[in-house]
Amino acid sequence: MWVNMGPQHPMTHGLWNLKVRIDGEIIVDADPEMGYLHRGIEKISEDRHYNEVVTLMDRTCYVAGLSWETLYITAAEAALHIEVPERARWIRMLTDELQRIGSHVMWYAAFVQDIGLMTPFLYGMRDRDLILDLFQSFTGARMTYEYNRVGGVRNDLPNGFTDRARKVMDWLMPRFDEYDALCLGSDIFHRRCDDLGRLSATECIDLGITGPMLRSAGLARDLRKDRPYHRYDQVDFDVATATAGDVTARYLVRMEELRQSVRIVRQCLDWLDKHPGSVLAQELPRWLGAPYAPVGAEGYLLKRRYPSGTGFSAVEEPHGEAQAYVVNTGGEHPYRVKFRSPVFANMSGAKSYLVGYHVADIPPIMGSVDICVGEVDR
Amino acid sequence: MAASKPEKRPEERPTGLVWKPLTTAARQFAKSFVRPSTILYPYERLEDPKFREKVAVESGRPIGVGEIWDNYRGVHALNIATCISCNLCAFSCPDLCIDMVTVPGGDPKHPKKCPQIDYGKCSYCGFCSDACPEGCLTMTTHYELSTPKRSEMVYSPQRLFENYQHKLPMNPIRLARPANEDAILLDAPLCIGCNACARDCPTNCITMLDVAKPTAKPGEKLPRRIWKEPVVNDSDCVRCGTCISVCPKECLFWGTHK
Repeated sequence: MWVNMGPQHPMTHGLWNLKVRIDGEIIVDADPEMGYLHRGIEKISEDRHYNEVVTLMDRTCYVAGLSWETLYITAAEAALHIEVPERARWIRMLTDELQRIGSHVMWYAAFVQDIGLMTPFLYGMRDRDLILDLFQSFTGARMTYEYNRVGGVRNDLPNGFTDRARKVMDWLMPRFDEYDALCLGSDIFHRRCDDLGRLSATECIDLGITGPMLRSAGLARDLRKDRPYHRYDQVDFDVATATAGDVTARYLVRMEELRQSVRIVRQCLDWLDKHPGSVLAQELPRWLGAPYAPVGAEGYLLKRRYPSGTGFSAVEEPHGEAQAYVVNTGGEHPYRVKFRSPVFANMSGAKSYLVGYHVADIPPIMGSVDICVGEVDR
Repeated sequence: MAASKPEKRPEERPTGLVWKPLTTAARQFAKSFVRPSTILYPYERLEDPKFREKVAVESGRPIGVGEIWDNYRGVHALNIATCISCNLCAFSCPDLCIDMVTVPGGDPKHPKKCPQIDYGKCSYCGFCSDACPEGCLTMTTHYELSTPKRSEMVYSPQRLFENYQHKLPMNPIRLARPANEDAILLDAPLCIGCNACARDCPTNCITMLDVAKPTAKPGEKLPRRIWKEPVVNDSDCVRCGTCISVCPKECLFWGTHK
């Protein structure tokens, strides 16, 4: 019998439908259906200025907006042959890591609620608020940041930001132990999560599954180490891995990543304290700056001398490996923008990690995937 | 670097059976003296620094919760007096929510136009205030926009000016101009000296100067008017492109000086 779980879902915030075929209580087949939240972001991007696409990036994944902004903007800068100031790169790394903390804490809050624990949900949401406060103090918004620009970031960090961020990090570290005490110390958690949704590393590679799901299967694949972008080669951190490949292992990997992110954030703050400077490249053509004046007759635009090019970037987003590809043909809009969403691949493999388990196991298993539907459908 | 799972679960340890519930209960009881994170929003406001301080101290958190910083991107404030009607805010809007509408104050031939913002469409990206060359369109920390009517979401320039007059805290961040920005260049052989660019320039940075007229051949009729060409003062120019869009011969274009 096919059972539709969704599109209104108890465990995600967007719309998607999980069709499962059940034999009694046992799942024998699964078929995730996505597309309910498709907005055609790739197509809309072709009709926008390079900077204006950033506003769409915040709407792809609402819990990891800045990661997607840096993903797109790195590809766009590569396509436009623009050099970014060193300080802007470190700020981007800082925002990426803060975003990872925010996203993982949000995942923790949503996940434990899926498996029936209400208190940790409130703890998670409470602590995410501190990260949002930090974001708001330098971007000006809590979720839709619009902070990155081609050639750097919009504005520098405000005075006293680094001290405030350090205080938050000091406050967060013991909270992570509290999370662990609430979950790993709880028998309910173990009974619901142990040995569920098992995936081996080879299966993950076959399905294109990346991020914490892959690392929980024992493979230490992390783009921050394997293909360092921003300045990840200059900071010190470890790749979190676990061996079991089940739901508990994914939890452990994410909790360890939170601690490693705090470590990276502290190093970024130290660097940013010592190296003041410009955060936005000065050598930008006028039409890439903030005001987008009309360029006049179409012929004059096409005669323009801006060199064409293509840009690719890959970022270890909180959910996995996200990739972007931007084609620049010398015009004022990107000719083509393509994104690779990690959650799309992670979610598409639902059949391989759902079959054989019970219907009641679906919320913890799918919760451990960390689904963000806005990012899947784009 | 995986965190290790606890060796034994509470029910397997005899001491854990007693102590764990007790310590948990004691900890939770102690939390009842701490201020809850909930904020009774309409009655307790985070804009109030005293209240924020109170929350931060009582909840034991390192920074105040939900503080509204000066660079918050909320409702716009518009200073009508300094607006030069350059259209840059409308051009830069990704959501096309800005319309330029006529406001009193201009002369009848060239009415003054100021931005009217539809907050039903606005995404609060801040590109318009970044683009504003005069700094007259800024974003404020005001964020309460609920209204029973959709038509009330459209803010006229006068209503935005009220925000300015109320002196709400405004976003202090101004973007610096790029060092190598493009200038308006003239394709001189195409120019017919019609004065349209100088007439519509919002900053009056274009002057029509007399230029050496090509000598007419014998017997050819001379042009009746004096031949003029626009000269752009680059330091005053805000790069709004109005001149380019009004030029009937498409002889003005963006470029860099040789």
